Amino acid sequence: MFTKILIANRGEIACRVIKTARKMGIATVAVYSEADKDALHVELADEAVCIGPAPSKESYLVMDKIIAACKQTGAQAVHPGYGFLSENETFSRRLEEEGIVFIGPKHYSVAAMGDKIASKKLAGEAGVSTIPGYNEAIAGPEQAVQIAKDIGYPVMIKASAGGGGKGLRVAFNDQEAFEGFSACQTEARNSFGDDRVFIEKFVEEPRHIEIQVLGDAHGNVVYLNERECSIQRRHQKVIEEAPSPFLDVATRKAMGEQAVALAKAVNYQSAGTVEFVVGRDRSFYFLEMNTRLQVEHPVTEFITGLDLVEQMIRVAAGEPLQIRQQDVQLNGWAMECRINAEDPFRGFLPSTGRLVKFVPPAENAAGAQGAVRVDTGVFEGGEISMFYDSMIAKLIVHAPTRDQAIACMREALNGFVIRGIASNVPFQAALMQHPRFRSGQFTTNFIAEEYPHGFSAADVPHENPAVLVSVAAAIHLRYLERQSRIVGQLPGHEFKLSRHYVVQLRDAEYAVEVDAIEGGHRVVLNGKPYDVLADWKFVDPIFRGTINGEEFVLQAERVGLKYRLFHWGVRVDVGVVSRRAAALMKLMPKKAPPDLSRFLLSPMPGLLTHLAVQVGQDVKAGETLAKIEAMKMENVLKAEQDCKVAEILAKPGESLSVDQAIIRFA
Amino acid sequence: MQDIIEELNRRREAACMGGGQKRIDAQHARGKLTARERIELLLDDGSFEEWDMFKEHRCTDFGMAENTVPGDGVVTGYGTISGRLVFVFSQDFTVFGGSLSESHAEKICKIMDHAMKVGAPVIGINDSGGARIQEGVASLGGYAEVFQRNVMASGVIPQISLVMGPCAGGAVYSPAMTDFIFMVKDTSYMFVTGPEVVKTVTHEEVSAEELGGATTHTSKSGVADLAFEDDVEMLMMTRRMFNYLPLSNREKPPVRPSTDPADRSEHSLDTLVPENPNKPYDMKELILKIVDDGDFFEIQPDYARNILIGFARMEGQTVGIVANQPLVLAGCLDIKSSIKAGRFVRFCDAFNIPVVTFVDVPGFMPGTAQEYGGIIKHGAKLLYAYAECTVPKVTVITRKAYGGAYDVMSSKHLRGDVNFAWPSAEIAVMGPKGAVEIIFREEKNDPQKIAAREAEYKAKFANPFVAGHRGFIDDVIQPHETRKRVCRSLAMLKDKQLDNPWRKHGNIPL
Repeated sequence: MFTKILIANRGEIACRVIKTARKMGIATVAVYSEADKDALHVELADEAVCIGPAPSKESYLVMDKIIAACKQTGAQAVHPGYGFLSENETFSRRLEEEGIVFIGPKHYSVAAMGDKIASKKLAGEAGVSTIPGYNEAIAGPEQAVQIAKDIGYPVMIKASAGGGGKGLRVAFNDQEAFEGFSACQTEARNSFGDDRVFIEKFVEEPRHIEIQVLGDAHGNVVYLNERECSIQRRHQKVIEEAPSPFLDVATRKAMGEQAVALAKAVNYQSAGTVEFVVGRDRSFYFLEMNTRLQVEHPVTEFITGLDLVEQMIRVAAGEPLQIRQQDVQLNGWAMECRINAEDPFRGFLPSTGRLVKFVPPAENAAGAQGAVRVDTGVFEGGEISMFYDSMIAKLIVHAPTRDQAIACMREALNGFVIRGIASNVPFQAALMQHPRFRSGQFTTNFIAEEYPHGFSAADVPHENPAVLVSVAAAIHLRYLERQSRIVGQLPGHEFKLSRHYVVQLRDAEYAVEVDAIEGGHRVVLNGKPYDVLADWKFVDPIFRGTINGEEFVLQAERVGLKYRLFHWGVRVDVGVVSRRAAALMKLMPKKAPPDLSRFLLSPMPGLLTHLAVQVGQDVKAGETLAKIEAMKMENVLKAEQDCKVAEILAKPGESLSVDQAIIRFA
Repeated sequence: MQDIIEELNRRREAACMGGGQKRIDAQHARGKLTARERIELLLDDGSFEEWDMFKEHRCTDFGMAENTVPGDGVVTGYGTISGRLVFVFSQDFTVFGGSLSESHAEKICKIMDHAMKVGAPVIGINDSGGARIQEGVASLGGYAEVFQRNVMASGVIPQISLVMGPCAGGAVYSPAMTDFIFMVKDTSYMFVTGPEVVKTVTHEEVSAEELGGATTHTSKSGVADLAFEDDVEMLMMTRRMFNYLPLSNREKPPVRPSTDPADRSEHSLDTLVPENPNKPYDMKELILKIVDDGDFFEIQPDYARNILIGFARMEGQTVGIVANQPLVLAGCLDIKSSIKAGRFVRFCDAFNIPVVTFVDVPGFMPGTAQEYGGIIKHGAKLLYAYAECTVPKVTVITRKAYGGAYDVMSSKHLRGDVNFAWPSAEIAVMGPKGAVEIIFREEKNDPQKIAAREAEYKAKFANPFVAGHRGFIDDVIQPHETRKRVCRSLAMLKDKQLDNPWRKHGNIPL
C-alpha cells in the first residue's frame, strides 16, 4: 500500500479523498492554485504544493506541475478526483512513465473510453446497445449540419473530451446545428484543450441512469448498481439517487452486465461509470463511460456500504477486489443534492464572493430520521471565486425508503445555512416537495418542463403556513419578552406584553393569541393551539424545535421589522404586529418598486467581456446586448424587448457587481 | 357632578377629533397617520398621558377668535417605551395645518421643561406648515422658546425628531438641534426655503422631495439620520432605537439581558481581511459578527458611507460603534465622514455610551475639493470629539492605520483605553509606496532599488508590532477572539472615571 498520495484536484472531492486516505493511514499532498491558498483541501492535507495562478489552465490542468509536486513530496500515487486531469490519458501515461501510480483506470482504458466516438464503437463490439450517431471527426460547422440532417433532428452536439454536461448542445434545426457546433468547439478547446466534437441522435423523454462499475488488475469487475441522474438542469445533474425509482430487477441486471462487459473489454481497473439513456419502455442505450470517480458516487456508497475511494486506492495498489457480484448490496435509498453557488431566482446565474455564513446540517451516520452526509470543500469565511465550478457542497442522505430519504433531505436542506452568496438550496427544496418528483415519474426534461420560465418564489408554496405563522409569532414574543426585561422602567408601570397579534405572511393576515408556556409559546391560530418549543438563542441562525411535538428546523433572522424565515425552500419576510398597528398599516401607501426596466443590469458579478451595441442603436428583442463571463461560463444578455440604447454605463473589461447597470435604454 | 363628567367626555372626544373627520381623512389619504395615531404606535399600549388637551390659542386677529380647536395643533404628554419614560409632542396637521402658535409652543416647552426636570428623553413629531402667520411675532417667539430649550436639553436628555410631514423655514432649526432626525420618504420634507422661493431667487427648478425629502437629507445633506418607508415603520423603529439610549446623562446606558455568549468566537473573521492590501472587504460583517445577536442599529447608512456609525450591544449593554468602511472610498476620512462620526462620538460621550472603534483607514482624502471645503477644520472635529471623549473607548485596528488618520481614530494618544490590533494591522505614517518615494527620493529612478526599499519598509511597518513595541497597541489579537476581547475590555472599563478640566465649554472647530 502507498504511504503518501497526491490529490490533483480541489474543492469537495479533494477533501473527500483526503478523508479516506487518512482513514487508511496514508499521508496526503494537496495541490492548489494561488486562488486556493486558504482552501479547505489545503488545510486538511498533510502537505500542500502551490501549482500556479488561479486559472485552471495554468494550475490544475498543468501535468508538469503536478508531476513535479509528486517528486518534490515523494507521493507515490495521484488521485485525480473528477474533472481536470481525471480522464486525461496523457496524464495517466506520463505518470506511469515517471513511476507514479495513477489512482484510476489504465491509460489505455481512459483512451478507449475518453473519446466518445471510439468508445461507442467499442461498446457496440462488446455487445452494449448504442444509439445512432456520427463517429468520425467533423471538419467544420457545414459538415456538422449535414451530419445532423442525416441522423435526423433533434441531435446532440458534444465535446469528445467533455464530461458531464459541459459543452453539450441540442440542435433542432440547421441553424442551431451550425451555431451549436461552433460554440461547442470553442468551449471544448477552452475547457479541455481538445476541440473535437461529436453528434448523435437526441433521445427525447429519456432518463439518465448510470451503472457504477469497479474493476481490479486481476480481471475482476463488478457492478455496484445504478444511480438515477435524470433530474438535470441544462444537462447538469442536480439530484442523484440510488437506486432508481424506475428500474426493475431484470433491467438493473441487464444494464449491470453490459456495463461489466464493456469494462472488461477495456481491461478496466478502477471505479468507473457507464452512463445509459433509458427509454420509457426500459430500453437502454449506452451513452458514454466515465473513467473516473463521479460527483454522485456517495449515493452508491450509501446503498452498498463501500468506500469507492478506498476501493480505487486498493485497486491501484494492486490488491484484488474483496467483493464479488453476489455480495453487492442494495440497502435502502440514498439521495444527493448538489449545492451550487448560484441564484435560482435569477436564472441560476453563478454567485461569487465571500461565504459570510456557511453552516451545513450536522452529519450523522445513521440517525432515526436517516443518515446525513455533507461533502464540501468550502468553509465559513472562505471565498467562492469565479475561476472554478459553482458546486460548493453535496448533501447526501440515506434512509430505508425513498419517501423517508426525501423527508430527511427536506429537513437537512432546512438546516443548511448559506449567506453572503446565493445558493440553489431553495430550488432543491422545491424539487423535494414537487409531486412529480416525489412520485418518481420524471425524465431528464423534468426541470425544463416544470420550470419552463425559470424558477420563482411563487414556485414554492408553503405546504403548511401555520408553521411559519406560529414560529414567527413565537420568535416575536421572545424578542418582546427580552425587551420587557430592560432596566430603568417606571416602577409599577412596566412594559406588559399583549396576547393578541396579527401575523402578516405574504398578502395574508393571521390573528393569533400567544401565551408563554414551559420551554416556548402556545400560539393559537383559528382556535387551534400550536405549541412552539425550542431552545433557541437570538444569535442562532437555525431555529430548531417542536410544534405540537413534531420536530422542525428552520432558519430565522430579523430583518428590519420582519422575521425572515427559510423553510422548505420558502424564503419569506413575516411581520408580527399588534392588532392596532395592523389596522393602521392598512392606511399606509403601497409603494411601487423603482422602475429598473429601462436598464440592463448585470445579473451576476463577473467580467464584462463584450458589448454588442452602441449608443443610439435600435435593438430588436432577442438580440445580444452584452456578454459577461463568470465561473468559466459565458453569459449572453439579450434584449427582452425592442429598445433603443440611450447610454452605455460600463466598459468591456470592467468587473461588474450584481445589479450594476450596463446599458440605459431610451 | 355627572354633568361635568359628561362635559369632560364631550370635550375629550372633540379634542381627539383634532381638525375634524374630513381633515383626518385627508391626512390618511396622504399616507400619513394622525398625531394621536402616531403617539399610539410610538408608546407602549395605553401608556400615554396627555397634557394640555384643552389648551387653545389666544389670537384674536384675522377672525381667529372664533376659530379655536382644543389642543391647538399639538398633542403633548408623556408615556413609556418598553416601560421607560419618554416625553412626546406630536404636531397635528389637521388643526391649522399643524402651525405653531404661541400656545402651541408653550405646550411643547412645558413637556420639555418636565423632561429636563425628571431626566427623560423628548421625542418630537413634526408635521407642521410652519409659523401661525395670524399670530406674527408671537409665533416666532414661540419657536425661539423651543430652540432655547433644545439647546439647554442638548447633552442632558436625548432628543429625537421624527419629521413626518412638512417642516420648513425657521421650524427646521428645532429638529436641527436635536440628536437624531428621522424622516419618512415621500411624505416629509425639510428646508429653509421652499422650491418656490428657490426658483425666484436662484432660478433652480426643484421639487420639494428633491430639495428636502428624506432621501436628500439622508444621502446628500446628512441633515437627517434615517429614512423610512412609512409612518408605521418609522414609529416602530424609533421604539427599537430608543431602547439603546439612556434616559438622561445622569444614567448609564440601559442593559437588557443577553443570551449571546461573550466568548463566542467567529473563525470566519480570520479570513475577513484580504491578502491584497488594496482589496476592500465589508467592515459591516465584522460589526455584525462581534455585537450581541448580530444586531446593529446603523445611523446614517446612506451618508458618508466610508464610515459606519450606529448602536449595538455588548453583553446586553449599549455601545456606539464607529468603523471605517473599506468598501467605500477605501475607508478614508473626508469632510462628510469626519462630521458624521464626530457628531456620533460626541453623542455617545454625552450619554455615557462606550465607543468601540474599528479602524482601517488609509488616511485623509486628498484633493482640492476637500481642502477648499475645509477638511482641516472638519477633520479636526472627529479628532476633537475622540480626544474630548471620556467614556470607555475600545479600538481594534484591522488593517491600515496610516498617518494623521491613525491618530484621529481613537488612538492610544487620544486616551484610548484599550487598543487592539489584528495581525493584519499596518500602523505607519503612510503606505509603503509613498513612504519609500519620500525617504529614498534619490533612488526614485531605480525601480529595482525602490522595490527592495518598499519590501523593506513593508516588512518593518506593515505589521502591528512597531506600534506594539511602544505600547500604542495593548495587544495583538486573533480576529476570531475579537468579541471576547472587546467584551472583557468593556466589562473592565465599566466603572471608568475620567474628567476633563473645568471650563465653560471647549471650542470645537465648528
